[in-house]
Amino acid sequence: MSVLGEPAILANLVDPVGIVDQKGVAGDVIVPMWRQRLRIFMHNKLAIASVGYLVLILLFCYLGPVFYHTNQTNQALALDAVWNAHPSAAHLLGTDSSGFDELGRIMYGGEYSLTLGMLAGLITIIVGTIYGMVSGFIGGVVDTVMMRILDAFLSIPYLFLLISLFTIFSRSTTFLIIIIGITGWWANARIIRGDALLIKKLEYTQAATSMGASKWHIIRRHVFPNSISNIVTVATFSVADAILFLSALGFLGLGILTPQTDWGTMLQNGTAQISNGYWWEIYPLATVFILVVVAINYIGDALRDTFEVRLIER
Amino acid sequence: MLAYVIRRFIQSLIVLLIVMLFTFTLPYFQTGGIYAPAFAVLGTHANHRTVLEWGAQNGMNHPYVIRFWNYLVQVFGHFNLGHSYKLNLSVWNIISLYVPRTLWLALAALVFTVLIGIPLGIYQASKRNTTVDYTATGVAFVLYAMPLFLLCLLMLQAFSFSGPHLPASPPTGVAPWAIFTDPIGFILPVACLTMVQVASLSRFMRGTVLEVLVQDYIRTARAKGCSPKRVLFRHAMRNALGPIVTILGLSLPALLGGALIVESVFNYAGLGIQTVNAATNVDIPTVLGITLLATILTLSGNFLADIMLGVVNPRIRIQGRAS
Repeated sequence: MSVLGEPAILANLVDPVGIVDQKGVAGDVIVPMWRQRLRIFMHNKLAIASVGYLVLILLFCYLGPVFYHTNQTNQALALDAVWNAHPSAAHLLGTDSSGFDELGRIMYGGEYSLTLGMLAGLITIIVGTIYGMVSGFIGGVVDTVMMRILDAFLSIPYLFLLISLFTIFSRSTTFLIIIIGITGWWANARIIRGDALLIKKLEYTQAATSMGASKWHIIRRHVFPNSISNIVTVATFSVADAILFLSALGFLGLGILTPQTDWGTMLQNGTAQISNGYWWEIYPLATVFILVVVAINYIGDALRDTFEVRLIER
Repeated sequence: MLAYVIRRFIQSLIVLLIVMLFTFTLPYFQTGGIYAPAFAVLGTHANHRTVLEWGAQNGMNHPYVIRFWNYLVQVFGHFNLGHSYKLNLSVWNIISLYVPRTLWLALAALVFTVLIGIPLGIYQASKRNTTVDYTATGVAFVLYAMPLFLLCLLMLQAFSFSGPHLPASPPTGVAPWAIFTDPIGFILPVACLTMVQVASLSRFMRGTVLEVLVQDYIRTARAKGCSPKRVLFRHAMRNALGPIVTILGLSLPALLGGALIVESVFNYAGLGIQTVNAATNVDIPTVLGITLLATILTLSGNFLADIMLGVVNPRIRIQGRAS
C-alpha cells in the first residue's frame, strides 16, 4: 500500500496530538499553513485565555469610559472633596489622593499605557526588522560596522540611556513613544539579522540571485516573508517591554506629563499610600497591570511554539 | 590566549569609542544650546557677548572633531568624566563616593542570582513539566512582568512595615562596605534585585539545559551507564555553563538599571539616586558622565565574561566564537 493510502497511520506518526488535518496529509484537501499554525495556537489553552484577557482589558480601557462616566480632568479641590475615599456605590473602586475615581482612572491611564506601549513596540519592530535584514543580508563590512554600532548601544544600560535622553530633550507624549521606540529595537535587530543570515544561504534565495533578482527584491520577497514568524514573536515581547519601561519612567517621575497619566505613574502615586492601608489605590491596578504583561509575554511564548516547525513534524 | 585577549580588548575599545561619540554628541541637542551651560555659570542675565566669550574660554567654539578629541583626552588622559555646571564640580567628585556602594549592591545581587538561579534552572529542567516546574515558571513570569519598583514596595509592605520589621533602608553615610558590617539593612534591597534577576536567569538556564539534554553526548553518557545525577551535573551542566556566562555578562545593564530603581525605592545613596537627582536638576554633564561610567562598567563585565569563556572553552579562544 502506498503511503498516501494510509493517512491515519501516517498522521499519527507525524502528529500525535492531531494538529495537522488528516485530509491534508492524505492529499485530498491541502490545509493552508496558517490554518495549521492557528490550530497549534488554539491547542494552547493558556494562550487563548491570555488573548481573551487582553481583548477584555482593551475593551475595558477604550470602551469603558463610554459607559462609566467619571471626571478625569479636574482634581477635587473643594474642601468637602473626597480624597482617598473607600470603595462605595458612587466610586466603585474608591478615589485616589487627588480625588479621581480609581476605576475610571485605571481606564484612563490604561489608554495611555497600552497605546504608548503598542505604538513604541510597533516602531521598535519596524526599525529593528529593517536594520537587522539590511545588516544580515548585505553582510561583509557593512554588517560588521552595523553590528559594532549595535554592540555599543546594547552596552549602555538602558534605563540610564532613557534618563539621559529625557534630560536633554523636552518631554511630550509623542516624544515618549518615539524615544522608547527608537531605543528599544537593538535586541530585535540581532534576532532578525540571525534570520536573514540563515535565509541568505538557502537554495531559493540563491536561485533568485542567479536569476538576477536585486538585493532589495530578495529582502522584500524572500527574507521578509520567511522571517515573519520571528518578527511577530519579537514584536509581542517588545510591546510588553515598552509597557514595563514606560512604568519605570513613570515611577522615576520622567514619564507622561500631568494631567495625563499612565499605569506606571498611577502605581507610583498609589504606592505612596500603601502604608495608610488604601489598598484600592494599588492592588486592583497592580493585578490588572501584571496580568496584562504576563498575558502579552505568554502570547509571545505561544506564538514562538506555533511557528516552531519542529513541533509539527514531531 | 593572549591574541584572543588583545583582540577582545580592541573590540571593547571600539565599542566604547562609539558610545563616547554618542554621549559627546548628545549635548549638542540640548534646548538652548551653549546658553544652557553658560546661563548656569554666568547667570541668566548674561548677554550674548559674555556667553560667546565664556564659550571661547571653555573651548566650545572649536570644530566638532577637535572638541571630540579634547573629550577623549579629558576622559582617558585625565580620567575626568565631565564638569557639572550646575554644581560647579567635576562629575567624578559628585559620584566617586557612591560608585562603590552601587557596585557592592549589584555584586551581592549577582552572587545570589547565580547561587539561586543556576541550581533552580537545572532542577526545573530535570523535573520538566511537573508541578514544581510549572510553579517556578509561573512565579518567574509574574516577577518578570512586575515593575521592579512595585516589587520593592510590596516587599517593604510585607517584611518591613509588618511581619519581621526588617530595616526599610540600608545604612547610608557610612563606609561603602557597610554591606558586610551591617547586612540586615541590605536584606530587602538585595533580595528584590536578586528576585528579578533570578526570574530571567533560571528561565534561561532551564532552556539551555533542556537543549543540552537532547545532545548525542548525553545519550552516550546515559548509554554507558552514568547515573542521572552524574549526567546532569557532569555532562549537561558543564556544557550549559558557557551560554550562562555570556548571558550573565549581557545582564549587567539590566542589573545596573535595576540597582537604580532599587536605590530610589530604598533610599540608598548610590549611583542610581545621583542619576535621578541629576536628571531632575537637568544636570546634563552629570547624567551623561554617569551613563558613560555605567557603560564602562558593563563593557568591563562583558570583557571579563568573554575572557572567562575563553579560558574554559578552547574553541572560543582559537576561533573567536563557539562553533
